[in-house]
Amino acid sequence: MSSLVEQAKFTCALGAMQTVLAIPRGIPIIHAGPGCASRQFAFLSSGAGYQGEGYAGGGQISCTNSSQSEVIFGGEKKLRATVEGTLKVIDGDLYVIQSGCTAGIIGDDIGQVAADFSEQGYPVVGVDTAGFRGNNYKGHELVVNAIIEQYVAAQTKQADVRQGLVNVFSVVPFQDAYWRGDLEEIKRLLTGIGLEVNILFGNGSKGVEEWRDIPNAQFNLVLSPWVGLSTAKLLERKYKTPYLHYPVFPVGLKETSRFLREVGRFAGLPKAQVEGFIQEEEKRYKSYFVSFGDLVSDFGCYLPYHLYTAADSIYGIGASRFLIEELGFTPKKFYDIDAPAQKTEEDIKEILQNIDERYTGNVSFEYDNRIIQDEIRKELQEEKTRAVILGSSWDKELARENFDSILVRLSIPVTDKVIMSKSYAGYRGGLTLIEDLYSGLFDDGMITNTTHADH
Amino acid sequence: MGELRQIAIYGKGGIGKSTTTQNLTAGLCEHGKKVMVVGCDPKADSTRLLLGGLAQKTVLDTIREEGEDISLDRIMKEGFGGTRCVESGGPEPGVGCAGRGIITSINMLENLGAYTDDLDYVFYDVLGDVVCGGFAMPIREGKAKEIYIVASGEMMALYAANNISKGIQRYARTGGVRLGGIICNSRNVDRELDLLRAFSKELGTKLLYFVPRDNVVQHAEIHKQTVIQYKPDSNQAQEYRNLAQAVIDNQDFAIPTPMTQERLEEILMDYGMMDTADDYKI
Repeated sequence: MSSLVEQAKFTCALGAMQTVLAIPRGIPIIHAGPGCASRQFAFLSSGAGYQGEGYAGGGQISCTNSSQSEVIFGGEKKLRATVEGTLKVIDGDLYVIQSGCTAGIIGDDIGQVAADFSEQGYPVVGVDTAGFRGNNYKGHELVVNAIIEQYVAAQTKQADVRQGLVNVFSVVPFQDAYWRGDLEEIKRLLTGIGLEVNILFGNGSKGVEEWRDIPNAQFNLVLSPWVGLSTAKLLERKYKTPYLHYPVFPVGLKETSRFLREVGRFAGLPKAQVEGFIQEEEKRYKSYFVSFGDLVSDFGCYLPYHLYTAADSIYGIGASRFLIEELGFTPKKFYDIDAPAQKTEEDIKEILQNIDERYTGNVSFEYDNRIIQDEIRKELQEEKTRAVILGSSWDKELARENFDSILVRLSIPVTDKVIMSKSYAGYRGGLTLIEDLYSGLFDDGMITNTTHADH
Repeated sequence: MGELRQIAIYGKGGIGKSTTTQNLTAGLCEHGKKVMVVGCDPKADSTRLLLGGLAQKTVLDTIREEGEDISLDRIMKEGFGGTRCVESGGPEPGVGCAGRGIITSINMLENLGAYTDDLDYVFYDVLGDVVCGGFAMPIREGKAKEIYIVASGEMMALYAANNISKGIQRYARTGGVRLGGIICNSRNVDRELDLLRAFSKELGTKLLYFVPRDNVVQHAEIHKQTVIQYKPDSNQAQEYRNLAQAVIDNQDFAIPTPMTQERLEEILMDYGMMDTADDYKI
């Protein structure tokens, strides 16, 4: 691990306040010093394609703004006052208290404060998301698990299993800048093969009502290499709900069809029903895909074919697989930036090597973007070739300065694009990724439809 | 009047740091010294004997209630023999961060100008277990340069003293902090004097003074007084005067050489403590 990290593409566990905001009418209450919550908002919301404050985020976030007095004498009193105030002025369905570093070090009992409110009938949950506990991928899991343990478990004591109902644990809202579109697309796909879906976050979610329904699911779906696994295991222990761990986030035709077939099998859905949906989707996809063949033949000599990925293991693996498997890219290097546990690193390497054996020895768990950029720059200079970089807005110059390589923004910060419902997930997302990827050919005005004939 | 000597007193919890410090202070007062005692323990009982009871509002309580814009006389009271008494105070047990409290209150004392030129001695009476950086505050940033560890012949007291020495060694490397010696607050353990001498030697320091056990100390405590005030003619009062003289005369300041657990146990073994654990009486 580097002693000093430059440009980490994630934030600390407290960043999971954005996870709370991703639940419709979910209200975070932050127990931290001044500045923590607003920094998280700046990085995770503005830095994810300008997603705005939403219902109760940004400048509206309740915070204890703890200072010296709370450090010395404990901050529980001020926290209680802040929760009381929040319950009065912010109308929400679920309130999640999150502690930052200072409260975590001095040991304020967040759980007890939350319990005192929930005993009075308020939907309040408390979770220690002190920044030193880990990054916001970890924070996301801490928050999701705390909601299940403290709120869902109290609301839904006995599971009443409904066949065909699935809970989806996948991308981390806001850390994945495309989370809104992604989760809508995942829900559309799963609904398409005949499942009822608790997507839990974003516009496709019914909010807290869906969370209360979690114990009733036929199964849980973990759609990520590691984030969400602890939640699925928790639910297995608590409600005996089985789970399907599908580590590759589906992007494009091949993977999405594989994914849906696997889910269909696991759920015991009628094969014809699953295949019917897949065929319909593939037909639409192919008609678009064919239309881009002309561009490939016209601009063939300009197309990059080397692939560098510097993104998290969820989207990075999904998008890289699509580029390699469907667009014929050569995998050069995969930088996993989400700092997984050491044991998980081996799993991720295996997944990537199964996708393409050329990943052997070319997977790096590095979250210092300076180191990543230096390595990519060196390779591009040595090979004197343009490439595709799946990275963030921070990598814009790296791409431009090295043979006008093409950057696709797959990781935050995304500060030079506005993102709303865009997604690279599923069949439709695969097509969108093709659009963004090959539009990159024309970004710097090097090639136009009239100039390319001169080359 | 010589240069201000700032002294921190450490030692295992319950060993008698506060009692020893206050009686020592009373002894110094009789020698005509100007002394300030700063209690660095959330229990705020470091100046009880000098003040004739827990009459003191702590620095942190005052800050909490009145803010940081306060005058020195709000947090400093005059006790026996003109001693200046301050209690840092701290949170209730189990909440907050007492270490940060000590840092805050010592900073406050500095800002309010408590360290006046006429002072000869400042004593910091620190909570027994130095659990975090805050409890090392008195020996950081050029404050107390002189440390005495109060110990007895009890095994755990020596474990604690050795452990505290590790902390002192750490600060001694970067600052001017030195160990002035061990003060034995006797518990009448077998061969206690020999053991303490051997232990001090191994630690690279000396046994500064051996304070014998005497019930008059407890009687004085019940009366909320130092022994010198309560029974000025008693033998024990003279012991504390002698201790005060030993501190005044002390010229030996060392960087301690803490020992390994094994070596410590060897010394304890040599003085018969490990063998007679079952007969061990206080």
